[in-house]
Amino acid sequence: MINGKTSAKGISRRTALKGLAASTALAATPFSIARAQSDVTLRWWSPQAAPAQVEAYQLQIANFKAATGIDVQFETTSDEGYAPQLAAAFSSGEVPDIVTHLPSFAVQSYYANGLIEPFNDVIDAIGADDYFPGANDVFRAADGNYCGTGIGNSAANMLWLRRDLMAAAGIDKAPETWDELRAAVSAMQTGGLFGAPLPYGRNSMTSLIFIGFIHQAGGQVFTPDLDVAIDNEGTRNALEFYREMREFCPPGATNYSWGESLTAFVSGATATGIYTGRVLANVNNQNPGIAEHVTCVRYPRISTDVAPWTFNDFPSVFIPAQSKNIEAAKQFGAFLFDPEGYIKQLHAAPGHVLPVLQSINNNPMYQDNDIIQRYSAEVELMAESAAGGFNLGYESAAHKSNEKAGEIIGSNVISELVQKVVINGDNADTALSDASMAIEAIVKG
Amino acid sequence: MAFVKKLAFNLFAWGIVLAVAFPLFWMLVTSVKPAFELFRRPPTMLPETWTFEHYLHLIERTNFLTYFRNSVILSTTTTFVVVAIGTLGAYSLVRFRFRGRESLAFMVLFTYLLPSVVLIIPLYLLLVQIGLANNIFSLVIAYTTFALPYALWLLRSFMAGIPEDLESAALVDGASRMGAFVDVILPQLLPGIISTALFTFILSWNEYLYALVLVNSDDARPLTTGVMNMLVSSFNIEWSLLMAASVMMSVPLIIIFAFLQSYLTRGFGAGGVKG
Amino acid sequence: MTASRNAQEAVSHRRHLMARNTGTLLERRYAMLGVMLIAPTVVVFCAVIVYPLLSAIYLSFFSIFTPTLQGDFVGLNNYAELLSTGTFWSSLGTTLIWTVGTLSLQILFGVGMALVLHQNMWFRSLARSLILFPYFISTVVAVLVWKWLFNDLYGIMNHFLISLGIISFPMDYLGTMPNAMISVILVGAWKYFPFVVIAVLARLQTIPDQLYEAAKIDGAGPIARFFDVTLPQLRDVLVVIILLRAIWDFKEFDLIFLLTGGGPLNDTQTLPLLVYQEAFALNDMGNASAYAVMMMLIMLVFMLVYIRRTRSEEET
Repeated sequence: MINGKTSAKGISRRTALKGLAASTALAATPFSIARAQSDVTLRWWSPQAAPAQVEAYQLQIANFKAATGIDVQFETTSDEGYAPQLAAAFSSGEVPDIVTHLPSFAVQSYYANGLIEPFNDVIDAIGADDYFPGANDVFRAADGNYCGTGIGNSAANMLWLRRDLMAAAGIDKAPETWDELRAAVSAMQTGGLFGAPLPYGRNSMTSLIFIGFIHQAGGQVFTPDLDVAIDNEGTRNALEFYREMREFCPPGATNYSWGESLTAFVSGATATGIYTGRVLANVNNQNPGIAEHVTCVRYPRISTDVAPWTFNDFPSVFIPAQSKNIEAAKQFGAFLFDPEGYIKQLHAAPGHVLPVLQSINNNPMYQDNDIIQRYSAEVELMAESAAGGFNLGYESAAHKSNEKAGEIIGSNVISELVQKVVINGDNADTALSDASMAIEAIVKG
Repeated sequence: MAFVKKLAFNLFAWGIVLAVAFPLFWMLVTSVKPAFELFRRPPTMLPETWTFEHYLHLIERTNFLTYFRNSVILSTTTTFVVVAIGTLGAYSLVRFRFRGRESLAFMVLFTYLLPSVVLIIPLYLLLVQIGLANNIFSLVIAYTTFALPYALWLLRSFMAGIPEDLESAALVDGASRMGAFVDVILPQLLPGIISTALFTFILSWNEYLYALVLVNSDDARPLTTGVMNMLVSSFNIEWSLLMAASVMMSVPLIIIFAFLQSYLTRGFGAGGVKG
Repeated sequence: MTASRNAQEAVSHRRHLMARNTGTLLERRYAMLGVMLIAPTVVVFCAVIVYPLLSAIYLSFFSIFTPTLQGDFVGLNNYAELLSTGTFWSSLGTTLIWTVGTLSLQILFGVGMALVLHQNMWFRSLARSLILFPYFISTVVAVLVWKWLFNDLYGIMNHFLISLGIISFPMDYLGTMPNAMISVILVGAWKYFPFVVIAVLARLQTIPDQLYEAAKIDGAGPIARFFDVTLPQLRDVLVVIILLRAIWDFKEFDLIFLLTGGGPLNDTQTLPLLVYQEAFALNDMGNASAYAVMMMLIMLVFMLVYIRRTRSEEET
């Protein structure tokens, strides 16, 4: 929309809103003075707040307090709610001091608008060499700085399978291509059991997952130079396949997002699943009966000529530029990777968020976990896939960082494309050229 | 014959009532079923195993009670503030003549039309400027935006229904205007105040959008967003917990309702909806 | 009605005399007191309603990035754009379908239920409580319960309909059209019809029995009695309820947002949801404000009807 970096322009834009702020007499309240008198308490936001995760965060907070005397207050946000909450926070200056687990493209978009503090020195403090090679590429901004770092990796479009159902249907190997996948789900679908819980809802999951399908068909949404290129043969094939898969998905899949899709597989209502490693913990807690049969592979693609494409939202850490405690926040940002707390955090949902540091991955303490040991092959595969994963902000290693990815996902253009073709049965060419124009319009701002 | 007719009518009437109330029954039933029974097909009408573990889980292992406390503080404060300001305002609008009175009354109605979505960001900026962001009082202020116009409007009609003779008589007896207000008007207005307070409380207890955007700390989050945030996430949807939470969220309203039901309907009869 | 109006006139006449007798000083002091009493209301209104409202109008002339609230002045461009693209009009259409649909169900069902509950039935007060309950529970709770009822895999609705033989395959209530719109309208009607019941029931209780007796003597049956006696008596209250509920339904956000999020496609995306999406998903506060201002203008028409209505009533 607006690139906030040319300073002359930035000032004139700022003045546009000055009038608004000044027009209330209340603006005079000496708010900064009141703050200076209080002790430093950092505010930490994250949408990842399952009870076990919060427990781990509390340990990290306690350790940090013991080490530095600085208090941290954890506050949950949500995948659907962070955009308005951060918008309100940024526009008012009343920002959290550190935010974790937001997708990398959201961070890039905020950074491009001058809302985020460069993260280079924190990465150095953590140890740039300790990261898996290339782990921070996705956070490199247009100006060469890093806008944040990964707090983990996630392989969000793994194909989850059940060996028992496969055996019963006479399928001897995990599907690698779409044809094999279609045959497999068709064989496993019976009266009460559906083949797959693919999302067809008007939400971000549908957009994010379908972008994976575009790539698995050899297509792309943008060219490496960030020209809109969604109108291509790969997308057409992906749409066609996604439409065919509809009959193997539960009727309510038209409203599915992450939670519904996960629950469908975990509760045993679908024969396959599409999710991160969170499946492992949930199956073991909620439906232990199928735990021994569960496994995962990379999601199939149109043919073995196309490389697999793993969707990694690159859960991030970043520091808002308006934070009044930037130094303390940076200290805490680095401290998040302190082995004891970091490993506990990763163990809160084993396989869901995967370590970005090699020293942690090789740490016996990290490996010492029932689920990680029991499903070592799966966790290993997810770690490997996630490390080579991409998302709309970073479609391939050749792509420039895309600052508009967050708004494109938020606009639901791509999930609407899916709905038009699959649910309404609209002509794919028309729908695709509409979507292409809509993305074009968002890019222009 | 009369009995058969009566029976038929009652069956018909109760049939509708039960159909309307069925979702509430289903909410109760779901909340006492163990998690595995939820995924039974076909669903069991009554739980095969009764359990209260979901309620215990909510109370002991989640922030539910904090959210509950926040909601109670939030709704009571909003109700007090709104009813206090609204009663004075309505008294003034109905019984005093001053310039701008008509346009004020018009403005009250106009503010009624404002969609909350419009006000959020400017309101948030304002709250930050006065140093009230991200706490319960920021929500109290936000809730007055929709509660005050409604309360003022309700109280105005109640106030108009009180005969002016009473007040005139008190004034003739030498009471001051405010003295007459306290001694004569307030007792007469009490049912109207209670009714307005109830509606304000319900509106505040149930609000979602402002709470979603304006507050982000568990110390200030009310039940509506707290429960959604806690239980509907991208990693899990626990229906039994959700239903248990829903039941517990509704309990205060059931209690209030049981005690004050007559005020609610009577309040309306007294002029609340007569315009 | 006429009696009370006469009384009101008499009182205002008397007050007029009173004021003249005690002189203008007292009158002025009363006016001062009146202003003082309304002052808190005015202050609160200005701070939390008028100021944000003016900002919204101000913002609608800019192209603004929500998180930074920075942007360029674009004059009326936002308005020109929204009026020329289809999104606004289709969303307005959706809003009208939703409002009219849910409102008429609320009124029909609400009046019907009030009539039933006005009769002598067994355990009447229990029945009343049960009927009024949907109005008191939070929208969040209502949506959760209905989503659970509508659940494609484990929902009781599908189970009922399948075992009754109405459908043979689980239905998709919220993800396809026209199901999604019908579901939203029905849930909206379920949630808000008790408001109509409360108001109508209260009014029914004040209709003098003599009117019915007289109609009976004239030989009117139950149906004729409803149209000749009850309905005219309910007319005033219904006019107000319809306008109130129309305004509320028109700006309803929570219920639709939580139930369908506006989907499938844009088919249940009413104007408030569109404003929300523009402001927070597309980060375009200027456009969002323009949509919101348009929405207010449309509602202003609602209100002018309302004002005229109450005015003409006062005059006759």
